[in-house]
Amino acid sequence: MAETILELKNIVKTFPGVKALSGIDFQLRSGEVHAICGENGAGKSTLMKVVCGVHKPDSGTMIVNGKEEKFSNPLEAYGKGVSIIFQETSLFEEMTVLDNLYLGHEMMKKIGPFSVIDYGAMKQKAEEIFKRLNTKIDLDAQVKSLGMAQKQMVEIAKALTFQANILIFDEPTASLTQREVTALFQIIENLKREGLGIVYISHRLEEIFEICDRVTVIRDGQYISTKDVKETNKDELVADMVGRKMGSYYPKANTKIGGELFRAEHYYDEGFLEDISFFVKKGEILGFSGLAGAGRTELMESICGLTGKAAGKLYLEGQEIEIHNYEEAMEHGIVYVSEDRGKYGLIVDMSVEKNISLPQLKKLKKQLDFLDIRKEKELGETYIREVGIKAPDGEFLVANLSGGNQQKVSVSRALALKPKLLLLDEPTRGVDVNAKSEIHKIISELTGQGLTIIMVSSELPELLGMCDRIYVMKDGSIAGCFDREEATQEAILSVALESKKGVGA
Amino acid sequence: MKTKKNFMTKEFYLFCFLVVIMLLLAVLAPGFYTLNNIMSILNSFSYILISAIGMNLIILTGNIDVSTGALISVVALACAAIGKMGVPFAGLLVAAMILGALLSTLNGLFITGLKIPAIVATLATTQIFQGVLPLTVEGSIYDLPASFTWLAFKAKIFGVVPASVLICLIVTVFFLLFTKYSRFVKKLYAIGNNRNGARLAGINVDRTVVLSYTIAGALFGITALIVATAGQRVTTTMGTGMEMTFIAAVVLGGTSSSGGSGKLIGTVIGAFILAIVAPAINFLGISPNWADAVKGAIILISVVVSASRNRKRKRVVPAGQKLQTGGGVS
Repeated sequence: MAETILELKNIVKTFPGVKALSGIDFQLRSGEVHAICGENGAGKSTLMKVVCGVHKPDSGTMIVNGKEEKFSNPLEAYGKGVSIIFQETSLFEEMTVLDNLYLGHEMMKKIGPFSVIDYGAMKQKAEEIFKRLNTKIDLDAQVKSLGMAQKQMVEIAKALTFQANILIFDEPTASLTQREVTALFQIIENLKREGLGIVYISHRLEEIFEICDRVTVIRDGQYISTKDVKETNKDELVADMVGRKMGSYYPKANTKIGGELFRAEHYYDEGFLEDISFFVKKGEILGFSGLAGAGRTELMESICGLTGKAAGKLYLEGQEIEIHNYEEAMEHGIVYVSEDRGKYGLIVDMSVEKNISLPQLKKLKKQLDFLDIRKEKELGETYIREVGIKAPDGEFLVANLSGGNQQKVSVSRALALKPKLLLLDEPTRGVDVNAKSEIHKIISELTGQGLTIIMVSSELPELLGMCDRIYVMKDGSIAGCFDREEATQEAILSVALESKKGVGA
Repeated sequence: MKTKKNFMTKEFYLFCFLVVIMLLLAVLAPGFYTLNNIMSILNSFSYILISAIGMNLIILTGNIDVSTGALISVVALACAAIGKMGVPFAGLLVAAMILGALLSTLNGLFITGLKIPAIVATLATTQIFQGVLPLTVEGSIYDLPASFTWLAFKAKIFGVVPASVLICLIVTVFFLLFTKYSRFVKKLYAIGNNRNGARLAGINVDRTVVLSYTIAGALFGITALIVATAGQRVTTTMGTGMEMTFIAAVVLGGTSSSGGSGKLIGTVIGAFILAIVAPAINFLGISPNWADAVKGAIILISVVVSASRNRKRKRVVPAGQKLQTGGGVS
């Protein structure tokens, strides 16, 4: 009969400043698929990283196959029968499939006094595993030559090279096509029948109803409920996951929307953007939705001159404009806040005020090439106050701020340029819940003051809550447009997925 | 399951390049293929390759060592000091390898222990190694006994082939096998590929990196000994600048300077190409001052060619960027 093979009791994990997990309980039986679901940032992945030794828990106990265990790295966990298939792949791209499967635990044989890698034995075992998974992958191929689904097979096979009886899948279907998903589910089904216990992390509810036996919901790092999948339904799970009414969460202000401010016509960039036309009205918050790689970021970067030449026409306040580089975009009052703060946005080793003043050093010039330091200070202090950056003063280093406050510095810098049109790319990625709602509030207030905003986001609730209109992109072109009233998650998703044949949501 | 091996590898192209150069030299540089010249090329090829193999281990992990030249000077001088007492070659070899390994381990410890970038740490040790030498010796150690120069003058295989070639052959074959059949080299590749992934696979990254420096150091020691025993005088600047040739051989051989990829056989070909540049220029009647410029040009061309081959790959969507339905209704 099914016995409990993995048990977590009261697991607590804090990161500097954030309580990621506060007292999670969880049990996994052999021969079951047990889903863990929750919103983004609820702590699903963190919990599993604690289980397999990537993170050390602050407190709590973990019982694996009847024994209390503490792992200090995944290899130790593997040795005790716990294997994880990571969300971000942990493979070695330049190495062969076979090397990847056995890295760190190569099979060895003795030749005289030397112990050497036994490729023959490894190959034989690997072929058996792939046969069990019903897949064929060239063992001598470099991993970088494989597709996403094949890489995932390698990850699964890697987990099976250990005698694992507990398998953890962290969002395995995120980048698979529908057919690949079906194949994966078949494999999971088979493994389950072999008596393995499988933890399945996902926020795609229909998948949970398709293959899972039980489901545990966590929210904001807390254990909420464990239910039999057969005895629950979507609405109940969503209620558990969200725990509050949506909508009240987004402080969207009713603003006066004026005439057209900006329009793009037949915008085209080979390989990335295909004949895109859209417009945005004064005072509007315009959203861009779409799957990864749909071309949203490319569109934003292209509009403000960051990626070089693109064909098509741009109009600002009825006048045709040409933008060849970012400096020209700024002169026209179009300012971009990148999705990647670290890479394109802020210089974290500089102070808040220096970061804010950086794009407009020209304006702050006093004589010769000396900066008007007093003006720079004023500028910094104004925005610390107005945007609510939690820094003691303008000289505070950006590196010492939290993600949410860094994002506020990013936004402040853009605002200091007095833009007409603000392009925000994933403005709330990687910031905690509180900072998120503060940023939403700021966005809302800004449009109240007459600013026009285009916002790219991968979080549908955010777009639904904040935007007046939402364009949906797909494969580099615009697939649909929704008004605030008619936009729903289902409608947007179905457009984002449609016609891109065979791609699972 | 078996697929055909692809012969159109970087190493294959490099080998073709080498063959073309050698054919051209046969036509354009009469006298290049005399026994004497070939043996002298083989000797310099040997000591370059031995160290380049060590450098390759270091670069595979994404690190670098620019102190090698200075380290070789130190070891060469130490060998001379010991050699003056009449210690035979075997003793010198052991001493050179141990001293090389120790000094190079120091580099590895600075890098991993103090978390200093490899280029900065080894730049610092370069200064230290070079700075110590004038304090101990005045310019050079000379009048070295015949036991010291035994390798260069007496130890010839079949009376013609320098014994350094044999040492090089042993080292190369050993490392070809070591690369294929040891766990250790797999770890080096893994670290260079995906440092975090390596850590997740339970590899002790720091210890592995230090060990790569240690092994490389022993190989640098062998080179130091071959260079030192070529004459009766060993100077304090014997190894100066050599690190660039070793790094060049590795990079020319197709090892990525950011680590994780590249084959040892490429390093062998790279070392050979660099070993024939100087004599080739000499035999072509061009001023030897051009040698470094030509080496530089060869490296630049090979790096540009391989970079342009990589650039054809498609732009990749950043990881973790996917549509998220926070409410869970999809």
